[in-house]
Amino acid sequence: MSLARPLDGLSALRAPVLRWRGLGRLLARTGARLALFQSLVVVLAFVMAGYISQMAIDHIYRDQVRREVAGEMVSMDEEYRDIGATRIPHIVAKRSRLWRGFDYRWTSPDGRTAIGALPPAPVVDGWSTVRKPRPGDTAHADRFLVMTKRMPDGALLSVGQNLSAEGSETAAVSRALVVSGLLGVSFCLVMSYLFSRGAWRRIEELVGSARAVAGGQLEARVPTREGLAPDDLDELGGAFNAMLDRLEELIAQVRQVSSDIAHDLRTPLTRVRQRLDQLRADDDADTRRRAIGRIEADLDEVLSMFSALLRLAEIESDGRIAPEGPVDLAQLVQRMADTYRPDIEAAGRTLEVEAAPAVVRGDAQLINQAIANLLDNVLRHTPPGAAIRMGAGAQNGAMVLSVTDRGPGVPAEHRELVLQRCRRLDPSRPGSGAGLGLAIVAAIARRHRARLTLSDANPGLNVVLAFPPAPKS
Amino acid sequence: MARANLAESIQSVQRVLVVEDDPDTLGYIADGLEQNGWRVATADDGDSGLLQATDQAFDVIVVDRLLPKLDGLSLVRRLRERRVQTPVIFLTALGAIADRVSGLDGGGDDYLVKPFSLVELNARVSALARRPALGAAERTVLEVEDVVLDRLTRTVRRAGAPVDLLPMEYRLLEFLMLHRGRPVTRTMLLEQVWGFDFDPRTNIVETHISRLRGKITPPGASPLITTLRGAGYVIGGTARPHA
Repeated sequence: MSLARPLDGLSALRAPVLRWRGLGRLLARTGARLALFQSLVVVLAFVMAGYISQMAIDHIYRDQVRREVAGEMVSMDEEYRDIGATRIPHIVAKRSRLWRGFDYRWTSPDGRTAIGALPPAPVVDGWSTVRKPRPGDTAHADRFLVMTKRMPDGALLSVGQNLSAEGSETAAVSRALVVSGLLGVSFCLVMSYLFSRGAWRRIEELVGSARAVAGGQLEARVPTREGLAPDDLDELGGAFNAMLDRLEELIAQVRQVSSDIAHDLRTPLTRVRQRLDQLRADDDADTRRRAIGRIEADLDEVLSMFSALLRLAEIESDGRIAPEGPVDLAQLVQRMADTYRPDIEAAGRTLEVEAAPAVVRGDAQLINQAIANLLDNVLRHTPPGAAIRMGAGAQNGAMVLSVTDRGPGVPAEHRELVLQRCRRLDPSRPGSGAGLGLAIVAAIARRHRARLTLSDANPGLNVVLAFPPAPKS
Repeated sequence: MARANLAESIQSVQRVLVVEDDPDTLGYIADGLEQNGWRVATADDGDSGLLQATDQAFDVIVVDRLLPKLDGLSLVRRLRERRVQTPVIFLTALGAIADRVSGLDGGGDDYLVKPFSLVELNARVSALARRPALGAAERTVLEVEDVVLDRLTRTVRRAGAPVDLLPMEYRLLEFLMLHRGRPVTRTMLLEQVWGFDFDPRTNIVETHISRLRGKITPPGASPLITTLRGAGYVIGGTARPHA
């Protein structure tokens, strides 16, 4: 039971340290990742908004161009009807020159002559989009929305408008979107940084406390905030501190127990040693036999203490194969009363039993042992003549087993203490057992999910084990 | 000593096989049993233990649970598969009570938790070795001197006069009479009369024995149940009372 390095198991805490510095360290934080993810979502939303608005602008613009081009075509039609086919090339040239936002192409009926700036349209009748390279600029081309119509004389007339003007409008919209998107993302990142900074600092404190405990400072705790409404981190810190309190308590208990056990073992072993020394010196056969008998008794005491400790460990572990059948507490109480009555009455004590059927799921052996330990305890701690009462029955929905004595009792402040292993209220009393009896009762109670309570019997001690009732099956 | 008397009382020498890998423990057990009149064969691993147990006839086999080559539990299972019904006592480590349950399920007849006293081992070996061939367990009337116990009516008479016993006392007397002439230890009584697998600190056995003794011993007569100091109790037989 060496406790030299009790905290080795905690060293696992050191493993996932944030080792990166700078940006990497920032990226390792949950809050930063969340902010980045949100920014990505914002950017995506802006890209989608931009695309949709481009589509809408394009649609509206083309509608407008279409109406204007169609109007110009109507006007050209009128010119044709009023003035005649021969004047059309002249009108095309004139309107091109006086540029009112339209471009034209006129092809003679035989197809040999063409005037106007527009390239030939791919369709003979109706709408098309044509591209025309800019002179001296191969990278960009102008796009035209073109209406083409065959004149009654067989000539082809196209009227179109340059769509490039649309480009500058959509570019302005895109610019506005990019600027507001960038602003939104930066705002998002800055806000989440400001918001998370406090949380990161508190998480660092928590990690710091955990490392301090792992390093052996058992008393380290997470600092708690005062006067603020508690949030999830406060809850985490509180739970963490409660866990550390419990750990510290348990470790203190284990240390206490191991030193108590060492002390308890030393006494009988020292006696054995002394007796062996005496044996060496003494030749008288009778004295030797007596000394050997005493040595045996001392060793039995040591062994029974080990048995009790191992038994306790066994009850507390889940490895034990225990038949968990239905058990009637009343029957157990009756049998244990029959078993102990001679001993109880031998010293003038009285035993009274009041048992009504109380069926629980459990291990009869273990419950028997709990009763036996309680009765052993009563026999050891009550004066001759004391009245003892045992009971079993249903009470407030629980199956209750009780042992009550009219002895001196246990002071209220010691009742928790006596349930711990190796605790004796009067350590000077020799032969009062290893102080494990009640600890075993407590372990048996825990194993059966039974509530163990010690209370004042005015005078005396009242021990109650309240089991959950056996499920009806 | 009571033990010596006990050994003299054995009519034919009986044989015990001890299978144990620790040489010190093996020597301790073998010497102890030989001093009590048993003829002892030993084996220090599971395989040779199984070989001897199948080849020769023994009255009792003492087997450690943990053995090299073949563990105690498997040894006994194979023995039973070969229809060898020799009674077996398992030796188990301290605190391994779960082992005991599986040991008794696995064909063992008794178990003993280490460390144990030779007295305890002797008593248990005797109890198993001299189990009457035609089951005493089935006999309905048990008699020791003038005490008659009727297992059908659950009544006890001494010299014809009824003796009024409590249920616990009746069971205790019945167990002692079933093992007439053989010492039974306190632990055996706790396990088999009370069904306890733990040792209460209060000496309930002694108190019950003295009450029972008081009820079945008429005033002035010598007590029928004798206490063997450090060994246990015996009813009838040749063991002399010990102060």
